[in-house]
Amino acid sequence: MTITQYQCGGHAELCLRTGQDHQQQVLLIPPLFDEMNRMRRSLVQVMQRLDAAGVGCILPDLPGCNESLVPPETLSLARWSEALSEVGRQIAPPSLVASFRGGCLIAYDFTDAKSWQLSPVSGSALLRTLMRTEIAAAKTMGQSLSMAILEQHARDGLVCLAGNPIGADLFFQLQNAEPTQPANCRIARLSGDSKPADCVLTGDPLWLRAEPGEDSVLVEAICADILEHLSA
Amino acid sequence: MNDSEIDRILRAVLQDVLGLDAEQVAEFDAETELFGALPELDSMAVAGLLTEIEDRFDIMVDDDDVDGALFENYGSLLAFATQKLSARS
Repeated sequence: MTITQYQCGGHAELCLRTGQDHQQQVLLIPPLFDEMNRMRRSLVQVMQRLDAAGVGCILPDLPGCNESLVPPETLSLARWSEALSEVGRQIAPPSLVASFRGGCLIAYDFTDAKSWQLSPVSGSALLRTLMRTEIAAAKTMGQSLSMAILEQHARDGLVCLAGNPIGADLFFQLQNAEPTQPANCRIARLSGDSKPADCVLTGDPLWLRAEPGEDSVLVEAICADILEHLSA
Repeated sequence: MNDSEIDRILRAVLQDVLGLDAEQVAEFDAETELFGALPELDSMAVAGLLTEIEDRFDIMVDDDDVDGALFENYGSLLAFATQKLSARS
């Protein structure tokens, strides 16, 4: 596993790579906010497992996320889309783009790449969890908040939700954002989720958990389905 | 959506969000205490739980809907989901 960099908007962003000599490369778009932290270990395990199967992987830090030094309040969905384009141009054009949860909200344009999504989620669902977490945290300090108040803060320019500074642009984009639907996208969901899907995977939704740990069954299921879609 | 389907989905949400064993969740009955009895269910977990309930049942839960009684026991949570779904249809 190597750490490399790509440039986006005048900032250098880190990027994890495995199997860079393999012919096929999978670009992983991570979940957003806390869900990214909860899934990062699993994503790295997916990368290692795919490397062993002869497929390389690229896991970029999106601007403002993980180790990125970009001020989070300057973010927008368009900026993340631009970052993905730069990853494809500077690191490697992907054979398949695998988007996870909120990562499915970020549009990209890789005309030759297949698309695969795990449990795509709307931006409003992510926002509502963040707002509820912020409201619960405030309540423990004796403060009264509501979603309406937080939305007003966002309208005023910046709101901090569960430790995430979110500017007005990103807040209102997320409020209306639905998962992208690239052509021939394969949508995977877990067995507890009855929403429409092209395939149902076995495993635990670690992105929902306060103590996610790891789930080798989930990692194996993700890899098997990505490999199947790659070879289809 | 019939009552058994609502019950099945609600148990799946609790299992998925709180990381509970399937056997433990299967044994829940209406009197099973939730908030204060399940160490996994703290106020932060409630945030994720509510959104997941909204997402899987395709309903909206308002700030005003949420009070201490909602998570008192499994029966109260199930009744809430059932009532929200019937109000939608």
